[in-house]
Amino acid sequence: MQYSQKVLDHFMHPHNVGKMENPDATATEGSPACGDQVTVYLKVNDETKIIEDISFLSYGCASNIATASIITDMAKGKTLEEAKKITWRDAMEALDGLPPVKVHCSVLAADTLQSAISNYEIAHGLKEVPNFSKETIEQELKKIIYPQVGEDIIALKMVKYIGFKDGEVIIDMNMMKFDQWRDNIADEIKEHLQKYPEVKKITINFP
Amino acid sequence: MKIGRIYLDNCVTSKTAPEVLKEMQRYFEEKYWFPGTFISTGESANEQISHSQQIVAESMGAKASEIHFTSGGTLANNIAIKGLANAYKKQGNHIIVSVVDYPDLLTNAAYLEKNGFEVTYLSADNEGFISLTELQSAIRKETILFMTTAVNHTVGTIQPLQEIKKVLESADHKIYFHLDAGQGYGKIPLNVNELGVDTMSISAHKIHGPQGIGALYLRTGTKLTQLIHGVKRVDNLQTGGLSIALIAGFAKAVEITFSDFEKNTAYLRELSNYLLEKMEQEIPYIELNGPRGEKRAPHNINVSIDFIEGEAITMMLDQKEITVATGSACASEGLKANYVLMAMGKTHLQSHGSMKFTVSRYNTKAEIDETVQALKEITTELRSRSPLYQALLKEK
Repeated sequence: MQYSQKVLDHFMHPHNVGKMENPDATATEGSPACGDQVTVYLKVNDETKIIEDISFLSYGCASNIATASIITDMAKGKTLEEAKKITWRDAMEALDGLPPVKVHCSVLAADTLQSAISNYEIAHGLKEVPNFSKETIEQELKKIIYPQVGEDIIALKMVKYIGFKDGEVIIDMNMMKFDQWRDNIADEIKEHLQKYPEVKKITINFP
Repeated sequence: MKIGRIYLDNCVTSKTAPEVLKEMQRYFEEKYWFPGTFISTGESANEQISHSQQIVAESMGAKASEIHFTSGGTLANNIAIKGLANAYKKQGNHIIVSVVDYPDLLTNAAYLEKNGFEVTYLSADNEGFISLTELQSAIRKETILFMTTAVNHTVGTIQPLQEIKKVLESADHKIYFHLDAGQGYGKIPLNVNELGVDTMSISAHKIHGPQGIGALYLRTGTKLTQLIHGVKRVDNLQTGGLSIALIAGFAKAVEITFSDFEKNTAYLRELSNYLLEKMEQEIPYIELNGPRGEKRAPHNINVSIDFIEGEAITMMLDQKEITVATGSACASEGLKANYVLMAMGKTHLQSHGSMKFTVSRYNTKAEIDETVQALKEITTELRSRSPLYQALLKEK
């Protein structure tokens, strides 16, 4: 399991790294307890909605830093609408791939970029604060990577049922009893969902 | 000045000593025979094995007949732990181990737990020591086995082995004592009689011997249920073939290790103290994990570097041709923070930022200088990228 030369280049000499003074929008995702945290800063042209400047800070591993570097490269000069389409898959492809177990580290940077864009749009009246719904849960679950294969748990059909009622999220998982990643996945689901004030309780059922 | 790759992960495996290579070559090329009787090739192998047993035995105050070669430390642990548990299960089904022990011990404990044994997992304090009081109160009439790791593989903590012996002996029935000495052998004095162990595992490649060979000390009179069945070639516990050349290489490594034991362990301690002192002088916000001083094995230094993540540090050091290890979840196969550090009450952050350096007789002060210099630059660079460090600067 090795990193590509491109990952190493972006990790050793990252682009767009550093704190930005007076950004138009910013977002921080992840938590130090989970081993990674990324902050993205944006400067957006008010008229054209083009991302004129972007930078990041990362507490994380090589894969995390490299993804933040390349994804900020990809977003720079794009309109917000264009940048919204950038996913962790695009970043991973641009990095010539990542070892499956490291894919989850790259999702965070992509996620933070999207949160920063969303924060800009909300602050500038371009969109409403979205209502929390089953779709929000599904979007969050799409960011959770099954480390063995480096693919998200929705794409892998590991989620059988998603429910949300009276502040309780119920998720039925389709994972083998002795799956070594069960605890990791459960922890990650909680981490992704408990940041929403609407979520009071999370129940994850395994077969 | 670049010295070539600096290897500071000697607790995982170490460079094969040139003398060991030379010794093994003879056996690979000429004297590769298995033991046998009456014919000279077989007798030559018998002699060589007895000679090697004698050398290993002397290094730990054992008898030659108590040394059994195995294909490594893990196999020695398996033969001993499963063998003792099954041999004495009529006396009881209770086993004691600690949460900071080596994975060999913990996975065997988990296996036995699934197979009818009860296991008590002792906790550890913030320096990685197990509590003698807890051990004392864990003992019950069904307890048949206590096992532990002489030197902790993550933080180098030397368990209070003499005191453990006293506690075990104070019980009103015999409790068998298995010691994993993978990290301790050749680094701290280990005499099987002074320690009162019944079985003890050691490994050649941690003391500059070849990979693929280890040994089990088995006290005379102690029973083991056979784990591996098959034809007896070299040893009755690990049946089947075992490389005669590796055994000869192991014995040579033991000779080298114990010919200058005091001098070498003093050198290891000097190097690791130097490393720690330099890091503490040059790099702010670092903290030693595990005990300071004589209660720590001489070759191990483990520190947590605040605000940055260990896999990134390891990768950057690797780019500078320096090999070290980290306890970060991101560098582990199971994406879990290091269990020893977590059991010691460290935070996730401290575990993710933990770096382990283990030195050997082949490392030099110049290598330590270069490592600390590299680490200082890397820490500065990664902290400049870290939102946690930037937040600290803002607070200040």
